[in-house]
Amino acid sequence: MTIRHGVQKWTARWSGRAHAVTATPVAIVAALLAVLAGAFFEIRPPEAYGICMACHDRDLINWLLNAYAGMRLTVAPASAIFPLLTSVGVVIGAVVAARANGEARLSIPEHPLKGFVYGVLVMNCALLAAGCSIRLLLRAAAGDLTGLAGVGGMAVGIMLTTQYLTWRARQ
Amino acid sequence: MTIAAIASLVIGLILGYLGQRSRLCFVGGLRDFMLIRDWRLLGPPLAFALTAWVAFPLVELAGGRTGASFALPDSITLLLTIIGGWGVGVFSTFANGCPFRQHVLAAQGAVSSMAYLAGFFVGAVVFHLLVVPLLLHMLP
Repeated sequence: MTIRHGVQKWTARWSGRAHAVTATPVAIVAALLAVLAGAFFEIRPPEAYGICMACHDRDLINWLLNAYAGMRLTVAPASAIFPLLTSVGVVIGAVVAARANGEARLSIPEHPLKGFVYGVLVMNCALLAAGCSIRLLLRAAAGDLTGLAGVGGMAVGIMLTTQYLTWRARQ
Repeated sequence: MTIAAIASLVIGLILGYLGQRSRLCFVGGLRDFMLIRDWRLLGPPLAFALTAWVAFPLVELAGGRTGASFALPDSITLLLTIIGGWGVGVFSTFANGCPFRQHVLAAQGAVSSMAYLAGFFVGAVVFHLLVVPLLLHMLP
C-alpha cells in the first residue's frame, strides 16, 4: 500500500467521507492549537499571537530581509531570534494533502495581477488592524476589545462586499 | 524562541493538511451565509472564537502563560483597527478567501493565490517602509 492510499484511507475514516472533512472541527482544532501555542510554546509576545497568517508572514519576510539584506524592519518579539514558520507549514501541509488526494492541479487565472494587488491590500489592512481574520477572532476571544472591534469591521466589510458583488452580478 | 519556530511549523503542517481537506475559510463562511442564509455556514468562525474563548482561561488554570490583560484602546488605535478589519473583510471577499485559504489554494496550484502570496510578502515590506512612516507623519 502506498503512502497515498494510506493517507486517503485515514482521511476517509476520520471524516466518514473520502473527500471532505467538515470545516467546523478543523476550526476547533485550530483554536486549540492557537491557544496552546501562545501558552506553552513561546509564540508570544504579543498576546493571542498563536496563529496569524499576516503577522507571521510579515515576521518571516522582515526577519529574512533583516538577516540577509541588512535592513531594520519590524519583527514581533516572538520572531526575534528565529522567525515563525506557520505559513511554510501551512503550504507544505496543504501540498501534501492536495497531492495525496489528487487535488493538486495548476490553474492559471485571466488576471494574475489582480491576486497580487489583493495580497498587497489585505496584508496592509491586516497589519493596520494587527491581525488577519484568524488573529482578530483570536484577540477578541482573549478579551481584547480592540480585536473585537476589528472583527466587527471585518464582518461589515464582508457583508457589504457580498451585497455589492451580488448586485453587480444581477446587472 | 527556537521552540516557537518549530511549534509554528508543526501547527502550520497540521492546519495546512486539515485546511486543504476541509476548505476551511474564515471569510467564506459569512459570505456564503449572506448568499444562502444557512446558519451552519457560520460554524467554523464561531466555533473557532468560542473554543478559544473557553480555552484561554482553562490554559491559564493549567499553568500556561496567556497574560491576557489588554489595555483599553485609545480612539486612534480603535479607529485604525476597525478600518484595517474592514479592509481585510472587503479585499478578502474580492480575493475569494481569507489569508489562510489563499495559502492553501496556492499550495493546490492556484496561480492567482500564488500571486496573492507574492503580494502578501511585498505588502508587508511596503507597510513597514511606506505606510507606517506616512501614518506616523499624518497622525497627531
